[in-house]
Amino acid sequence: MTVTEPKPRYKYVGTRPVRHDGLEKVTGRARFAADLNLPGQLHGIVVRSPHAHARITSIDTSEAEAMPGVKAVITSEDFPAVAPGHRQYDMCVNVIARDKVFYEGHALAAVAASTRDQAQAAAAAVKVEYEVLPAVLTIDQALAPDAPVLHAHMMTAGANPPAEEASNISNITRFSSGTDMDAGFAEADLVMEREFTTRPVHQGYIEPHACVADTGQDGHTTIWCSSQGHFNVRSSTATLLGWENTRIRVIPAEIGGGFGGKTTIYLEPLAVALSAKAGRPVKMVMTRDEVFRATGPAPGTKLRIKLGAQSDGNLVAGDAYLIYTNGAYAGPGGLLGAMTVFESYNIPHFDIEALDVVINTARSAAYRAPAAPLTAYAMETLLDEVAEELGIDAMELRLKNAVTEGEPSTMGFPFARIGFVECLEAVRDHPHFSAPLGPNQGRGLAAGYWFNIGESSSATVNLNEDGTATVVTGSPDIGGSRASMALMAAEELGIDPMDIRPVVGDTEAVGFTDITEGSRATFATGMAVVEACRKMVVELRGRAAKMMGVDVDDVDWVDGQAVYTGSDSDKDPLSVADICAKAKRTGGPLTATGSLEAHGAGPGFAVHLCDVEVDPETGVVRVVRYTASQDAGTAIHPSYVEGQIQGGVAQGVGWALNEEYIYDSDGVMENPSFLDYRVPVASDLPMIDAIIVEVPNPAHPYGVRGVGETGIVPPIPAVANAIYDATGCRIRDLPMSPIRVLEAITANGGSNGS
Amino acid sequence: MSRVHVTCTINGDPAEFLCDGGQTLLDALRDEVGLTGAKEGCGTGDCGACSIVMDGRLLCSCLVLAPEAEGTSISTVEGMATGDDLHPLQQCFLEGAALQCGVCTPGFLVAAKALLDRNPDPTETEIRYGLAGNLCRCTGYDKIVRAVQAAAERLSG
Amino acid sequence: MAVRVHLSSNLRGPAGGLAEIEAEGATVGALIDDLDNRYPGLGDALRSGVSVVIDGLLIAHPEYEPLAEGAQVYFVPQTAGG
Repeated sequence: MTVTEPKPRYKYVGTRPVRHDGLEKVTGRARFAADLNLPGQLHGIVVRSPHAHARITSIDTSEAEAMPGVKAVITSEDFPAVAPGHRQYDMCVNVIARDKVFYEGHALAAVAASTRDQAQAAAAAVKVEYEVLPAVLTIDQALAPDAPVLHAHMMTAGANPPAEEASNISNITRFSSGTDMDAGFAEADLVMEREFTTRPVHQGYIEPHACVADTGQDGHTTIWCSSQGHFNVRSSTATLLGWENTRIRVIPAEIGGGFGGKTTIYLEPLAVALSAKAGRPVKMVMTRDEVFRATGPAPGTKLRIKLGAQSDGNLVAGDAYLIYTNGAYAGPGGLLGAMTVFESYNIPHFDIEALDVVINTARSAAYRAPAAPLTAYAMETLLDEVAEELGIDAMELRLKNAVTEGEPSTMGFPFARIGFVECLEAVRDHPHFSAPLGPNQGRGLAAGYWFNIGESSSATVNLNEDGTATVVTGSPDIGGSRASMALMAAEELGIDPMDIRPVVGDTEAVGFTDITEGSRATFATGMAVVEACRKMVVELRGRAAKMMGVDVDDVDWVDGQAVYTGSDSDKDPLSVADICAKAKRTGGPLTATGSLEAHGAGPGFAVHLCDVEVDPETGVVRVVRYTASQDAGTAIHPSYVEGQIQGGVAQGVGWALNEEYIYDSDGVMENPSFLDYRVPVASDLPMIDAIIVEVPNPAHPYGVRGVGETGIVPPIPAVANAIYDATGCRIRDLPMSPIRVLEAITANGGSNGS
Repeated sequence: MSRVHVTCTINGDPAEFLCDGGQTLLDALRDEVGLTGAKEGCGTGDCGACSIVMDGRLLCSCLVLAPEAEGTSISTVEGMATGDDLHPLQQCFLEGAALQCGVCTPGFLVAAKALLDRNPDPTETEIRYGLAGNLCRCTGYDKIVRAVQAAAERLSG
Repeated sequence: MAVRVHLSSNLRGPAGGLAEIEAEGATVGALIDDLDNRYPGLGDALRSGVSVVIDGLLIAHPEYEPLAEGAQVYFVPQTAGG
């Protein structure tokens, strides 16, 4: 670990206790959504479109309804109508199609029956008639002048002049320095321009989406489900059903991975509607095939970047044209790509235009640092080319142009304290940076940037009669956040983290909390925990003063004890347990809440170094060594910070080398299984050396920055740059699968460029 | 359709259950026996989240028909700990933070135990290939491999 | 309060392309009202999907955020995440 700035000495923050939910997870007792069964439960199955683009002319459910065991069949007719322009229109018509289906796998009806087999049979018996429409499957098709327009209401946002006709462009984003770009490029000694293409990829969480809904005769429902945000499940389900939030209670099950893919909903409103119609609990579990066809994926892209640099390596101009497909509905890919593409470097003249385009594939969902891994792929590989052309070391080029505190972001604001240079230096100073390479091996360097978001969080701290504490938050724990909450509470209260029980509360047990996304749980929900604990300490001092018979101003909180600081007499310090034991006599239960909108999200940078070995006869690329630094601000539980970095690397390596959606000419996904959509396995990867850099975020009480997402940003260009170093081939089309690598080597004359 | 009666041994205890002829052993374990430690991540034998050991062989229980369990001896993650005493693999996974979301963890533990039962002192490469049938999307495998190394050491020590 | 407003480049259209504007407001909401009076349409552009950065602090929903005399207020697009 590299600590770059002095920080307070913490007693618990920064230690590595066993996580509180760990025991249940290693014994198989942890309850994920699909593990729950209720008495009298029915099984729900979704009816999905076989066509990528079609008008639904009729749905006949009569035969299905008459089949054995079938208790309910629903279509969009069972939900209140929503019109284009509604804030959540896209989400609503994605959950259950109205009038048209926009991708293969689009849900359009659902069936509940006593057994899963019966439900499946009935789902197959729902008769749907379609008028099949021409499918738009690529960016080029979507932008063609005569392209079929998916959504008659879609007027391009951000267009200048304003759009007058509907098109497949949902949004145009433009950022520029406002300077003369021609003059900017004229200042450059070297101008290079490159184009890149990438395909959609899936988040690939191991747990398929699942829920159980139990709707009572009183019109209230309880949903158990796996999601990144159960308050969002509640409000989205309420929107679809036209219900008040109070009619819906959502209890978070353990979540088996999300990576952004579980920030939206698919099944819950269907399960509630089926349950309401049948008067029985309904369980719905997606198959892996459904997960691939109908959830996720991350956008595919076409990217073009032009960079101008002076002979000393100074970047002077950058031009980017970015096109993202967000699947069948509007999405933020292009906007986020535009916000990240040049964000890591000082480039005085820049012009960025980004298009978000709709096509007939599944609606994209967020995927870990959405859009940024792709802009990094383009920018960081082009930077390597610029470095080579100028004869400057790739690390030196980055250090020379890296943004630092006070320098402007692409958005114009000056960065607060950030740790990009420190991340670069940590890798430069690592033994890996100068280790020798073997035959057919190459080394690649790349950096990455991602935001952190704040949003709303709530926490309640309850002290128990015996002096232990329960910390209830509303943030689903995807990868160890319970442990982080307990560690921050332990530090504040001065009690052992193992005497704290961190709990993820349901929608009726804790205050509103936004989704676990944007790397915000430990940052923002951590702030709510700290706020609750600080209120608790004020209360504890008051109770202690009562017990001591002294003025509260003469009582301090030191190392988990109330300490009398006055001079009248000696008083023994009182521990949390001492105060809890007398709580009934000093004012009642000890409870404090913290609820806040977290300001001051701190951006995160990462720098990765990757060694690959390329088999020149097969094109197979093996990652043989990997080192990753990242600025975590402060690592609350370093093991889980390392885990986030290592996990991001593995996903990024999969994206670089193997993963892609493959569609046939009708838009039917051809590889909807883990056999054909290949994610990295243990034998594909080496150990991943994670270097935690700690440049504290000044806006957080413990200096926390977002950690979860940044690690997936640099791997694609790090691998691409390493492949170039090994083979002399620049591959600008993802994934860099054996066939593409072999083609590139062959086209390059089969020579080894290193 | 009449159901099939299956008698077998699960985690050392005699067990019997009724299942449909076409039901997977994974579904039978989860829905008929009530052992939900094994998870369905794919249903096609590609992710290993449903790993069990049947008569000494590591299997994806989603690829086994439940009636095939007749007369066999089955081990699942629920049988790894002895009372309150965790298996060293479980202990090392906890201490080494070798899990994040935890949904793949039962499958990894079962597969890792099968590996160590057969090869008590595996190299890193042998561990990586031994666990290549199990997908983890959270950890990048680093801490899982290290936990298995630590457990192997503890078991041999 | 007189403050200095900085618009990220994608938000400058309704402001006639201006990057920086002197404006008045005791809160960010009041500031946006002042800007909208002078640059009709800018208010709509700043009221949804836009965050501010004040003194290095990113604030996602700033309508009632108080402003100090001479503050530097940067309007930027709201971020999302996975």
